[in-house]
Amino acid sequence: MKNMLMIDHHKCVGCKNCEMVCSLVHEGICASSLSRIRVAKDERAGWNVPISCVMCEKPLCVTVCPVGAASRNPVTGLVTFDEQKCIGCRQCIQVCPFSHANFNQALGVAFKCDQCEGEPQCVKYCPSGAITFEPLEIALHQRRQETAQKIAADTLI
Amino acid sequence: MSKSTGYAGQILEINLNEKIAERKDLNKEFCMKYLGGIGFNARIIYDGVPVGIDPLSEANILAFSAGTMVGATFPTASRTEVSAKSPLTGRFGTANSGMFFGTQLKNAGFDSLIIKGRADNTMYLLIEDGEVSYLDAAGLWGKDSWETIDILKKKYSGCEVAAIGPAGENLVRFASIENGYYDAWSRTGMGAVMGSKNLKAIVVRGTLGIRPHNVEKFLDVSWKARKLIESSPFFVPFKSYGSMNAAMPYGKFNALNANNFSQGCLPDWKEDFARSKVEEITNGHIACQSCIIACAHWVEIKEGKYKGLRMKGMEVTPIASFGSGCGMSLEASVKASEMHQKYGMDMVSSSGVVGMAIELFNRGIIKTEDIGYEVAFGDDDAILRLMDDIAYRKGLGNILAEGTLRSAQHFEDGAASAMHVKGLEIPMIDPRGRTSTWSLGILTNIRGGDHLRCRNPIENLRYNENKYNFQKERFGFDRPMYDALDMPEDLKPKAIDLENDTTDIAVMSRWSEDLINLFNSLGICIRPPVEHKIGPTVLAEAYTAFTGIQITPEQLMQSAERIWNLMKLFNLREGEKPEDSKFPQRFYKIEVGGKKLDEVQMQEVLRQYYLERGWDSDTGIPTEEKLRELGLDTMQS
Repeated sequence: MKNMLMIDHHKCVGCKNCEMVCSLVHEGICASSLSRIRVAKDERAGWNVPISCVMCEKPLCVTVCPVGAASRNPVTGLVTFDEQKCIGCRQCIQVCPFSHANFNQALGVAFKCDQCEGEPQCVKYCPSGAITFEPLEIALHQRRQETAQKIAADTLI
Repeated sequence: MSKSTGYAGQILEINLNEKIAERKDLNKEFCMKYLGGIGFNARIIYDGVPVGIDPLSEANILAFSAGTMVGATFPTASRTEVSAKSPLTGRFGTANSGMFFGTQLKNAGFDSLIIKGRADNTMYLLIEDGEVSYLDAAGLWGKDSWETIDILKKKYSGCEVAAIGPAGENLVRFASIENGYYDAWSRTGMGAVMGSKNLKAIVVRGTLGIRPHNVEKFLDVSWKARKLIESSPFFVPFKSYGSMNAAMPYGKFNALNANNFSQGCLPDWKEDFARSKVEEITNGHIACQSCIIACAHWVEIKEGKYKGLRMKGMEVTPIASFGSGCGMSLEASVKASEMHQKYGMDMVSSSGVVGMAIELFNRGIIKTEDIGYEVAFGDDDAILRLMDDIAYRKGLGNILAEGTLRSAQHFEDGAASAMHVKGLEIPMIDPRGRTSTWSLGILTNIRGGDHLRCRNPIENLRYNENKYNFQKERFGFDRPMYDALDMPEDLKPKAIDLENDTTDIAVMSRWSEDLINLFNSLGICIRPPVEHKIGPTVLAEAYTAFTGIQITPEQLMQSAERIWNLMKLFNLREGEKPEDSKFPQRFYKIEVGGKKLDEVQMQEVLRQYYLERGWDSDTGIPTEEKLRELGLDTMQS
């Protein structure tokens, strides 16, 4: 079974540790604007939702890229951008349904999540277990159990 | 240091009269001596505020400094210190707050923001990637802080906002500066200073990033610090209940401010404010930048008059201030918290001055016609109404807005009901019920009667024996707790007596004040799991990896000590007297729970503390020798 980056926003506490470590390991700098994962939040209403690449089976960024810089590995399912080939046209950013793909102003290239070669650092640094990297079937099993537990507790006589 | 590492590298100095900004590069010597956060502020305020000025005049300076480690991966590094001469105490005014303001300030290019002068017309500032804009606040003035933040967050997406509410505009002497919706630089009236400058808000946002000097080492030490914090026995309780952990022990010990320090604990405290009650109305955890604890919770009032009220809350200080200090219900205490956030008003000082007013009402000194309505401890509606009157300076509220020290002078024998130290209202803890490092800190605190700048890192809330002439508190932990403490080996046996199972209050007070001062300089949180496990050794490693400036644990502690002494020099220069370091007479004369303080013995503990600090044991003035050692001997006090 292949691992997937799973986000359970109910568990997110909004600390942005994921953004800090992501930009640090990729760019050597702590800057939310260069992070491959972003925590969207509304402090007044009280929600925090981390957004990263969901690795679409039919990624629009790959479809739209005019120079083949965006590609999907058919075996692993990993969608990546090749910074060497990228011409900085930002079309991938325009079409990304999750506003995930972003642009590095200094280098003039687009960037996205690369899952840190199989060891996503956001997962390691998340203090609340909101981000996990595991096979879909296992992640769903876990969630199903948690939901079921609540249902069972509510219906206990 | 324009290509700075760790630090943003620049201080921004803004003159509101002229609408001009000056940028000053940091230098290594200044960084090593004053570190950042409160340390930078100490030097800025000491150098820039002329002696004896009216704190609400344009000669005062308002300084915002992000802690050095803020905006990266070091756990809990999120905090920013705001300082000025306090309009409430006339001393070094200062307050500390977390969330994301400091991160954005550094991302906008600055470690510190110094605000001078007074704007001709109401103004707000936008600071963005090194640039400053001076904008008209006519459409914001008069709005509460939440309305203000709503408008500014919509206009400048992704920004952080520091704003004042009506209390700051109306120069209530204990007005706060709100840090986003639910947090604040609350104590010592920084919001009144901002209001006196006609400055409604400061908006910060940036994309410049913060570059650690050695990425690999910095990540290693960040991870090490996280594991240390998680290994503290205080970690899980704080993750689960936040600061509300202290509510029940302090109640049990009769060590709460109950109805203006007239009782140690209210009769129904245990039932009305128990963990189970708190759990009923809370869900979800909220973190500041880079935190791994997430001690804050969402609160939702599910029934009664305030049904539907939903906010971040359940901090022990506001809940105990309103719930115990004024006898309000749990639900009304949450409502009062919301009101104080919207109005931008310090909850501790506000509940303190209201507690005094109710006591004076009960003593027949304040009459119904003075207020326009009757007030009583536990009368939620009347108390909320009085707090509203204070924020808008209506009727008696106009007098109470001056704080307990000043407003007490308006009433016959008012001083007997004014519960403050050095003009700052004393928070939720009553030292008669539990004499500890924490309670001595209320007396020795640079900012006056406040509990957040001194706390035993291995405080044991299971015990409150008062059998040690107020000089010691029970240690009560196993040896491994002692061994693991990050404290110099020669100081440890002085601070903790393992054989007799005690902690020396004077020694531990001096150490923990310096340690917390170090945290407030580096922007680290002082929550117990952090203060317990994070000390100068790991911080020196982190500081060096982050900034590239080699520093030792001893140098870090000396800088923290230097900063504390400099703030003390500021207070002395403003006329602080040895006799100011006294609790209200009530603590020495009237018992709660069968206990009171002994004035002579307390004076002896204070004398020991002064000696530990290297200060004159009678006057509490830093000796020349100490100042020379800290490189402060050229300062005028």
